[in-house]
Amino acid sequence: MYKLLPQQKTPNGLVDANAILRIADNAYIPFDPDNTDYQTFKKEVLVGAELQDADGNVMTDASAYIASLP
Amino acid sequence: MPITIDGTNGITQAGEFNSDSSFGFKNRIINGAMVIDQRNAGASVTITNTSDTTYTLDRFGAYGSQASKFSVQQNAGSVTPPVGFSNYLGATSLSAYTVGSAEVFDIRQFIEGFNTADLGWGTANAKTVTLSFWVRSSLTGTFGGAVTNNANTRSYPFTYTISVANTWEYKTITIAGDTSGTWVGATNGVGLKLFLGLGVGSTLSGTAGAWAGSNFLSATGATSVVGTNGATFYITGVQLEVGSTATSFDYRPYGTELSLCYRYYQSIAYTANSILAIGLCTSTTNQECTIILLQTMRSNPTITLPSAGQTSGTISFLTSAGAYPATTGTNTVNNPSVNNFVVSGGSYSASFVQGNATWLYPNGNVTIRASAEL
Repeated sequence: MYKLLPQQKTPNGLVDANAILRIADNAYIPFDPDNTDYQTFKKEVLVGAELQDADGNVMTDASAYIASLP
Repeated sequence: MPITIDGTNGITQAGEFNSDSSFGFKNRIINGAMVIDQRNAGASVTITNTSDTTYTLDRFGAYGSQASKFSVQQNAGSVTPPVGFSNYLGATSLSAYTVGSAEVFDIRQFIEGFNTADLGWGTANAKTVTLSFWVRSSLTGTFGGAVTNNANTRSYPFTYTISVANTWEYKTITIAGDTSGTWVGATNGVGLKLFLGLGVGSTLSGTAGAWAGSNFLSATGATSVVGTNGATFYITGVQLEVGSTATSFDYRPYGTELSLCYRYYQSIAYTANSILAIGLCTSTTNQECTIILLQTMRSNPTITLPSAGQTSGTISFLTSAGAYPATTGTNTVNNPSVNNFVVSGGSYSASFVQGNATWLYPNGNVTIRASAEL
């Protein structure tokens, strides 16, 4: 299971976080295509692993979200 | 190779030194002497993840298509290592499992493209390499492994023979460089994969001693370690070097080897009463601080933080007076980069003063883990 992180407050306003939480071990995975955990995250969500939004709600459009990532 | 010393020309030598591997840093394998074990500090790990590599000793992964068929431990069984070595990687079979045709159980190391690009594989100038290692098993017979490219579309299965049970034997395997296929060049991707089979099914096994345009992870007919309950497979002194001859093991200083490992994994330990980082209160409930990694990592790393809290083994931001807040909130990692990352505190009790300093404090010993493995 994975969970999106809240937006970050910056001098330029709120921006999307650039990491995702892997709930099982409290690991923060960067949105970096070279990171193997990130590669695994995308693969697992596409085959059905649960993805929660920042509020903890299960995302029903997880595949579309994955498609929007780098 | 004659060497001449005279008063006019100083020291000169005719011809060339005998190989590209005559000098240090010849070994493309990191932690080949199995000295570094940041994750487990010598504890045994049962390989349960059937979807991905489980990293054991630094840089060495293990994989099993079925869970819990073998374990890996630094110095498993506590046998005396080969002369010149202090440590080894030990795999132990946990059952007598018949490997399926498409299943694989192995020890592996993936080498970064920056460290293999000079081999020129996939070109007409592909260099020959030699793999060498010390191995010991409770089984005898023909064992197998393979070298592959990142996509597993090119592979070179190889064999070696263990003649005497429970005895260290030195093995060398020379591999002519692959002039075909697509090999990752000077990037931070996977340049080369080394597999040492502990049981590989027939469809993933190929003819030894030849390149194939297939995904072969071992040689046909190789011994299955996981096929015998309690069987052991110990290995150390793993070296992959340019040239057709195995040369002496490239002993690197411990600190150097550890630094090489840090590029892929860092276990950053903090003792009780230390400070993880100094930060700033961005509101009465929120804080930010930056933690610097020990070394530039291969990619932006996955960060694992200790839990937030005020009990042993947890971390919390403290007020500028050095006191715990009434309630510790949540700590989130933001902006992990190859050099550092930010810890953001949120939903703490309103015990902080915006603009004041804060520090991230460990209750007892804690560890932050950063992973950028291949």
